Amino acid sequence: MTRSNENDDLYALAGEYVLGSLPIAEREAFEARLANDPELQTIVADWEEQFFPYTAIVDPVTPSDYLWPRIERSMHAASKRSARVPRAAPTPRRLVHSLPFWRAATGLGLAAAVTMGVILTNVSTAPTTPEYMVVLLAPQTQSAGWVVQAANRQEIQLIPLGTFEVPEGKALEFWTKADDWQAPVSLGLVEPGQPLRLRLDQLPPLEDNQLFELTLEDDTGSPTGLPTGPIEFIGRAVEI
Amino acid sequence: MSDIGVSTIANDFDYADALARCARGEQAALHQLYRQEGARLLGVVMRIVKDRGMAEDIVHDACLNIWQRADSFDPERGSARTWIFSIARHLALNAIRQRDREIRVDINDPGELADDDTYQQSLSTTAEAFDWQTGQQMDECLQQLETERRNCVLHAYVDGLSHAEISAHTGAPLGTVKAWIKRSLLRLRECMS
Repeated sequence: MTRSNENDDLYALAGEYVLGSLPIAEREAFEARLANDPELQTIVADWEEQFFPYTAIVDPVTPSDYLWPRIERSMHAASKRSARVPRAAPTPRRLVHSLPFWRAATGLGLAAAVTMGVILTNVSTAPTTPEYMVVLLAPQTQSAGWVVQAANRQEIQLIPLGTFEVPEGKALEFWTKADDWQAPVSLGLVEPGQPLRLRLDQLPPLEDNQLFELTLEDDTGSPTGLPTGPIEFIGRAVEI
Repeated sequence: MSDIGVSTIANDFDYADALARCARGEQAALHQLYRQEGARLLGVVMRIVKDRGMAEDIVHDACLNIWQRADSFDPERGSARTWIFSIARHLALNAIRQRDREIRVDINDPGELADDDTYQQSLSTTAEAFDWQTGQQMDECLQQLETERRNCVLHAYVDGLSHAEISAHTGAPLGTVKAWIKRSLLRLRECMS
């Protein structure tokens, strides 16, 4: 393929991303690439600028009276959080339309993490106290299924709190995503009921509010390198 | 300020300044942005997701994103107003593509890109799907595209339609739609440069 064809492909791909016509897997792969590619960011920004005037084709729709008060509450909550955390969290893409779930999960996760932190540090023989805790909850039932604890920012332990029935031909895949990453990164497949110790040498140090999730994928792992199956357990890191 | 507003929109609102104030934690700035653009944001999102409740959720999330990411807005890269709408559009697009995945719509076709000449349709019978002229430089470039190709591009941008949905909507084969969009984008790029 010639250099100019490659360039054409890149421009067309960026244009398709802006149009929105890419299928989800390609879209997610593109976003992951976009996060670390300033040249691509410039191409995308140019397309955004060129197409933007055509948003005016659409008639405005007056929001309900409830929308602003809701935004205002979230903004207050985010401002309180960011007073503690240097950078506040963008809403995760995958659950973008279920914010109430997020509020519930974050609240419960925090409460559970504090409780579990006390229990685990009491029974633990390890000399170090975990710096970060994550309680992974099942989205449907809100029941805790796994705990992640990290004694430092480069090494984590995934501890099962029960068993999980994995359907034939499927496996649980473990993912993480910090607030400013564009896409989640796979931490590999996980055996239900088995604890797992992982070093995060290839990743930036663990940070507060970092997302962890387990999704149901094919038994060889996600074919796209990004989560494709349903979320079975999800939670965010809390510094303790 | 390089905000390229559409001629009908009053442009004395300083979007970049509002973002800068959001980045400094001034909550009034987000409220001003919302009062200025809330209805247009909801219109754009609603057209894509086609569900009122979901659209309001997305505008909520978009405003929160704008609030939290305002410090990452780079005026060198584009206008503040475009940045704001891009956040809302991409949240809406992610949500509907995610929904497509959840209901397992097969949006992959087995075929290669079909040659666009294999799909015959009389140009004169294709109606404009949009009243799309906005007085921008891009109008001229869009004008140079055949009507049905222009329709494909705008169906994607405005309605958030996937390749498969555009194919179903226009009656053109899927491979043709893909080829048309790609070639249209390259022609637009050439025309704009």
